[in-house]
Amino acid sequence: MPSLARLPGWTVLVLWTAAVLLPLYILVVSCFKTTAEIYDNRLGLPQSFVFDNFVKAWTRADLGQNFINSLIVTGGAVILTIVVSAMAAYPLSRYRLGWNGIMLGLFLSGIMLPIRLASVELFTLMRNLGLLDSLTGLILVYSAIRIPFAVFIFANFMRVLPSELDEAARMDGAGEARILFQIILPMVKPAVSIVAIFTAIAVWNDFFFPLIFIFDDRYKTVPLAISVFVGQFRTDWGLVFASLAISMAPILIMYCLLARQIREGVGAGGGMK
Amino acid sequence: MINPRRMTSLQRTQQRMAVLFILPALAVYALFVLYPLLMSLWGSFFTWRGLRMQEFAGLSNFARLFVFPSGERLYGALWHNVAWFFGIMLFQNGLGLLFAWLLFLRDRGAAFFQSVFFFPAVLSPVIVGALWRLLLAPGGIAEWALNGLGLHQGSLTVLGNSHTALAMLIAVDAWNWMGLPVLIYTAGLRQISGQIFEAARLDGASNTRMLVSVALPLLMPAVGTLTTLSFINTFNQFDIVYVMQGVQGNPSYSTDTLVTYFYRLAFGAEGAVGITDIGLALALGTMLFLILSIGTLMMLRFFDRRTVQL
Repeated sequence: MPSLARLPGWTVLVLWTAAVLLPLYILVVSCFKTTAEIYDNRLGLPQSFVFDNFVKAWTRADLGQNFINSLIVTGGAVILTIVVSAMAAYPLSRYRLGWNGIMLGLFLSGIMLPIRLASVELFTLMRNLGLLDSLTGLILVYSAIRIPFAVFIFANFMRVLPSELDEAARMDGAGEARILFQIILPMVKPAVSIVAIFTAIAVWNDFFFPLIFIFDDRYKTVPLAISVFVGQFRTDWGLVFASLAISMAPILIMYCLLARQIREGVGAGGGMK
Repeated sequence: MINPRRMTSLQRTQQRMAVLFILPALAVYALFVLYPLLMSLWGSFFTWRGLRMQEFAGLSNFARLFVFPSGERLYGALWHNVAWFFGIMLFQNGLGLLFAWLLFLRDRGAAFFQSVFFFPAVLSPVIVGALWRLLLAPGGIAEWALNGLGLHQGSLTVLGNSHTALAMLIAVDAWNWMGLPVLIYTAGLRQISGQIFEAARLDGASNTRMLVSVALPLLMPAVGTLTTLSFINTFNQFDIVYVMQGVQGNPSYSTDTLVTYFYRLAFGAEGAVGITDIGLALALGTMLFLILSIGTLMMLRFFDRRTVQL
């Protein structure tokens, strides 16, 4: 095809690239500007790279504590989800139990369940268990929501491993727990990273459950804190931009490192949200 | 089922180990997902005082849902969700197909553009909503740019105007998730054998013709996945509305959705905490659950039948 005929297509692609990158560019440069400078100098680079807004967001708005809370909740939910889901997927995909299909079906039905609609009963349950205003409570709820997807992924990857693997280990007298964690799990590393990446993104970004379960400022997560900032510091644009930048930093770093795995994972499965 | 009496010792060990291994995941999943969901469905048939279940009430919660004063909110929110779904199908999944096709026709740059297009999808809808709220605010950069280009005069109030606010939120949502259809369609296009496109080209088919008549029918599984996902996500829409327009769906409920309405009924609105109606909330939840399950099953069946086998 002549290269000129490709020009309209390239233009369309470049326009959407600009539509994505321009707002993010404005976000980044505005972090270093005072509110007055944001009004005066809309698109240009900041006069000087000062970190006042970041310091204010981290200390005065206490984003630091929110950040630590989000890290704890995300890390806890990722580890718990991976461990219990891998444990459940192993017998379901590799033993002949007679009830594999029914149990897998029960787990898989959870991938599509609209759990937000159960939030009233979930709230009562959490209150009765003393899990309101608790990071442990959030970890348990997020793991419960992510388990169906994780079991599905692990079962699919484990099913295709040759059966000689565990049979040989069993001959050598290895216990089932050891077979799972030392032989099977290392063989399904791609599944572990898919589950870890998508659980981390979903948990880090969620704001619905902290909104209904967390009232104490000490336990608020980043997205919940941001939703408050937007109203509270309405006029201090530099501060809000800086807190948005801080809250997307971990995801941005992860995305730059893992863009290829994320692209392939989404293209193959689609079920991310 | 395997007959217990004819089990070998390995099978017996495996049955025991399986129960032990499945139990932790099953317990967490059953306690925090299945139990509250079933209790919510059950509770929608009872009257409530605060968070306490009172007596069996049949369908009276559902009846109250459709009449004044709830009916107006319900139909408004339902209509906004439906409009949102079609908006996303057109702007996000339609444009996404175009982008994926353009990337498929080019042998360079696909990975770069895919990565850029998908980036907003890994951000929290809260961040996306907050960012666009700042950009679109009166005195914000969108107003400055439109004024500078002479396309608009004076203060830009698209989010404060009940005629434009919903469309803006749909556009922000499409911006957020555009990478999803691009990735799923490109993956689908790459699975189609190159010979098919080669044959069509030899027959003199143009690029547009190939997209519509050759690629699209073969992409039905991808279209089905995206339609179903968009349907589920749209009818669960909450975050963007909450962050950009508040939980009331301002201005004057013009961006209210079924889940923001559900949230107000269950947990109370800003500034009016305590005015909740759990019976009504659970009835709305049950209705939404039915809409989502029946809708999803119908879509999966619909697209399954339209899948072309080669």
